[in-house]
Amino acid sequence: MGRKKKKLSKPWCWYCNREFEDEKILIQHQKAKHFKCHICHKKLYTGPGLSIHCMQVHKETIDKVPNSLPNRSNVDIEIYGMEGIPGADLREHERQKQGSRPSNDSGSDDDEPTTKKAKPEGLLGNAPGMMQGMPNMVAGMMPPPGMPPGMAMGPMMQMGPMGPHFMHPPGMQQMMNAHMQQMMQGQAGPPKPLFPSAIPTSSTGGPGTPVVGTDFKPISSAATISAPPTTNLSLGSNGEGSKVSTIATSSATSKIIHPSEDTSLEEIRARNPKYSRNIPSKPDDGGASSSAAASELAMAVSAAQQAAAQQKQVEAMNHHAAMMQRFPVRVTGPPMTMTMGGPIMAPMRPPMMSGPPTLIGGPLMRPPPISMPPGVIGMPPGMMYGAPMFPTGPVLMQPRFR
Amino acid sequence: MKSQNEYKLKSPPDDAISAVKFGPNNNQFLLASSWDGFVRLYDVSANNLRHKYAHDSAVLDCCFTDAVHSYSGGLDATLKSFDFNATKETTIGAHNNAIKCVEYCTDLNAIITGSWDHHVKVWDPRGPICSMNCNQGERVYTMSVCGEKLVVGTASRRILVWDVRNMSYTVQKRESNLKYQTRALRCFPNKQGFVLSSIEGRVAVEYMDTNPEIQKKKYAFKCHRIKENGLEKVYPVNAISFHPIYNTFATGGSDGFVNIWDGFNKKRLCQFHQYHTSITSLCFNHNGSVLAVACSYFLEEETAPDPLPEDAIYIRPVTDSETKPKYVAST
Repeated sequence: MGRKKKKLSKPWCWYCNREFEDEKILIQHQKAKHFKCHICHKKLYTGPGLSIHCMQVHKETIDKVPNSLPNRSNVDIEIYGMEGIPGADLREHERQKQGSRPSNDSGSDDDEPTTKKAKPEGLLGNAPGMMQGMPNMVAGMMPPPGMPPGMAMGPMMQMGPMGPHFMHPPGMQQMMNAHMQQMMQGQAGPPKPLFPSAIPTSSTGGPGTPVVGTDFKPISSAATISAPPTTNLSLGSNGEGSKVSTIATSSATSKIIHPSEDTSLEEIRARNPKYSRNIPSKPDDGGASSSAAASELAMAVSAAQQAAAQQKQVEAMNHHAAMMQRFPVRVTGPPMTMTMGGPIMAPMRPPMMSGPPTLIGGPLMRPPPISMPPGVIGMPPGMMYGAPMFPTGPVLMQPRFR
Repeated sequence: MKSQNEYKLKSPPDDAISAVKFGPNNNQFLLASSWDGFVRLYDVSANNLRHKYAHDSAVLDCCFTDAVHSYSGGLDATLKSFDFNATKETTIGAHNNAIKCVEYCTDLNAIITGSWDHHVKVWDPRGPICSMNCNQGERVYTMSVCGEKLVVGTASRRILVWDVRNMSYTVQKRESNLKYQTRALRCFPNKQGFVLSSIEGRVAVEYMDTNPEIQKKKYAFKCHRIKENGLEKVYPVNAISFHPIYNTFATGGSDGFVNIWDGFNKKRLCQFHQYHTSITSLCFNHNGSVLAVACSYFLEEETAPDPLPEDAIYIRPVTDSETKPKYVAST
């Protein structure tokens, strides 16, 4: 027991996931492996130190820490031994250690010399855990190449062997539920991406290149810059501002000239009551608002053009306004606003479609096969193009392509 | 570096200017959207206001599709188009929340809108109908079209790359390399990559190609900072505009400065004089001979200056020495 405890807290190298007996050795390792200048072999103390050294002494830019894992190659993170490791990575490592413990324990016994084994397989981002035959181990595992790391195994497992496009009614309900849960989870907490990234089958980069690889910090990967001050607690579908993250705007030597709230200046400005005038809150008052707009427009025009053309203009405007009033609902109307729904609703629809594959790769502006009045636009496109619209859709297809 | 030829447009908007856009192939007309609820068409050569049309609330972005048609959207969540010849306004459609970005994709003749409702919609101007609606997972803050690619920058520092021809999947998803909120994003005219800026005086140059060799070239740099009595004031970089020919770009910050950069050679080509307040939008014209600079105070500070700085649009002819890379890139 005591031994296990001790193992958990073994120092490890953030750059290559290797474990060490002692932090001193770890630091030696880092200096020799990761912080050594490839030109003059001087050993520096940190990644940023190395990059500054190379920049100043050799006029070369280092964009990656040597011998590091692809998503751990950031030269801007200051790490010395175990210090400076982003909290998320620390936790992830812990989790991974716990998760893979059974396999390690049952397999080779783990004594000092085996530290070599802890070395990752290679620099391509292969997941060490995966190699050891624990396919079910999900937590904290690094992604196999080619699969975006953010993509939890979850959805695919839940989907089971049935391809998402062959869903039939019996299973559908559960699928959708599972799926929706996935979506909601994704939106509720930062660790999971809102929508797993989809990678085009035609993606560039040679075969075997992890698409979200070397320099791409995959979304939601904990390998991002150490503790970005802008915590991206995403607001769920329903509320901007339910949880407002903040920015540390001032430090000892600098001050960011921006409100401390991590919201765009435009959003903050838009809260000013003077901008809320005339915004149609409900689709129903589309008529009223458009008439208001029209009168404003007329005023605007008259103000702008004091020339002779004025009269004509206003007439034209009024005429246009009258037109707009005649069928206000069709123009700004509810079909779109209602049916498009929130981001939670939207994803539910597409799985019902069995058509999407035929549409993928289709021309952009293909008009709807059935001609319809321009007014009712919202609904049919949603249905027609429902599936392609659904960002996670193709992700689920991905395994089939690989 | 005050240019003698720089001049201020007459009859400027009455509230903050959200965007200025030159027409696709002439130097004469400039579109300006404003928080006063109007979109204005200026004749830059004659220095007068030609037209304006209204939205129900603040207008956040606008674009030309051709010399006489504009599209615009704002806090009223409505996409409108205006025909300046016929002085006819058309309501195209709506989002569920404010429309933050309006872009025109020339290659595909599509209008693309990005909204705080987390969605990007693609509109066919011939219908006009909404032909696509894509969830971005977060509020859209900025976006840029580059050929058939659309790069979207959202809240929570996400960057999404789409192929406008097939929006059924995201071509790439990235997290911004900058630590702070994404403020602006523009694609290189040569389609190799894009530049994004954050609220923390920093600009990143990124490449589309996922090849690690290409990705090595990306970088970020600090700018738009002013050191005063040992305290460095770091300003948001609000605006980016690319020179259409040289692939150099101008950035404008809340510090009131405009810088022109050579992104491929990592050089600053020039810095303009300091404008009287924040730069909110920049736009080169189609041949890169003129830069429009929109200045409006934007509530960045806790205590606003009193009186509020005036809103102004400057038209500044630029020379090759200000915009052309000093030497040909070796790579």
